[in-house]
Amino acid sequence: MSGEDCDPMDRGENDGQKPDKMFTLKKWNAVAMWSWDVECDTCAICRVQVMDACLRCQGESKKDSYGKQDCVVVWGECNHSFHFCCMSLWVKQNNRCPLCQQEWSIQRMGK
Amino acid sequence: MITLNRKLKKEPIAPEPTNTMNGLTSNESMVRRISVRDKLLIKEVQEMNENLPATCSVHFEDPNMLSEFLLTVTPDEGFWQGGKFKFSVFVTDDYNMAPPRVKCLTRLWHPNINVDGDVCLSLLRQTSIDEHGWAPTRRLKDVVWGLNALFTDLLNFEDPLNIEAAEMYNKNKTEFQAKVQEYIAKGKR
Ligand SMILES: [Zn+2]
Ligand SMILES: [Zn+2]
Ligand SMILES: [Zn+2]
Repeated sequence: MSGEDCDPMDRGENDGQKPDKMFTLKKWNAVAMWSWDVECDTCAICRVQVMDACLRCQGESKKDSYGKQDCVVVWGECNHSFHFCCMSLWVKQNNRCPLCQQEWSIQRMGK
Repeated sequence: MITLNRKLKKEPIAPEPTNTMNGLTSNESMVRRISVRDKLLIKEVQEMNENLPATCSVHFEDPNMLSEFLLTVTPDEGFWQGGKFKFSVFVTDDYNMAPPRVKCLTRLWHPNINVDGDVCLSLLRQTSIDEHGWAPTRRLKDVVWGLNALFTDLLNFEDPLNIEAAEMYNKNKTEFQAKVQEYIAKGKR
């Protein structure tokens, strides 16, 4: 629809360049998708980036002498990601993804 | 408290380097003692204050205790217009795995709030099989929004807590409205 809006204006100033303008619009869409992805990188339970340690683990002294288990990221079949620590607490009460309400099952774990 | 006071009194006497060391150690243990709930509340209370509906106000008895506050809802439309309704909100230690505990402190005639002050609001329900119940993705501002909406959008006569109030509404809306206003007038006396 916005492509049609552009056409008359393009014709006014630059005749041969219409197809290029169309591609520019498509690129703008792709940028919007990217910012949505970044938002998903925050754990919706503790609101800390999933790549960082969760709010619980941050409170504890980070480098204990014995090798404590890392605060890892967990992805569900629904593709939502959380800290494993945060999600394991929540599934004890309700075995659903708190973002999409689908039954929770782990797709993969890691960093 | 006594131990802390003594420690504070002692500190100026101690030689400089030890003093700094002490300061660091006690700071560190303070940080460690802040619970996950309190860390979440620091952000969420601010967010709640920034997004407060025009009909709501919050009050903290103790400004250092973010886990307990009073919410006052002053509806500007609907059956309860002209009334002022106070709720106590208590955020338990297991927040945000568990919803805050809410009590209505003002006696009122409402299908979803009984005379004991129990509030029936789906998002405050710990165990729920649908998307309306509590989830750790919810924030304090959602709780305030929900309580505020109990007087408008979320008002629900279908699944009442105060059955008598809901039945009265279904039989005679004028009588229901009068009873609501009667309670409001009683509260103002
Ligand atoms: Zn987390
Ligand atoms: Zn963790
Ligand atoms: Zn999901």
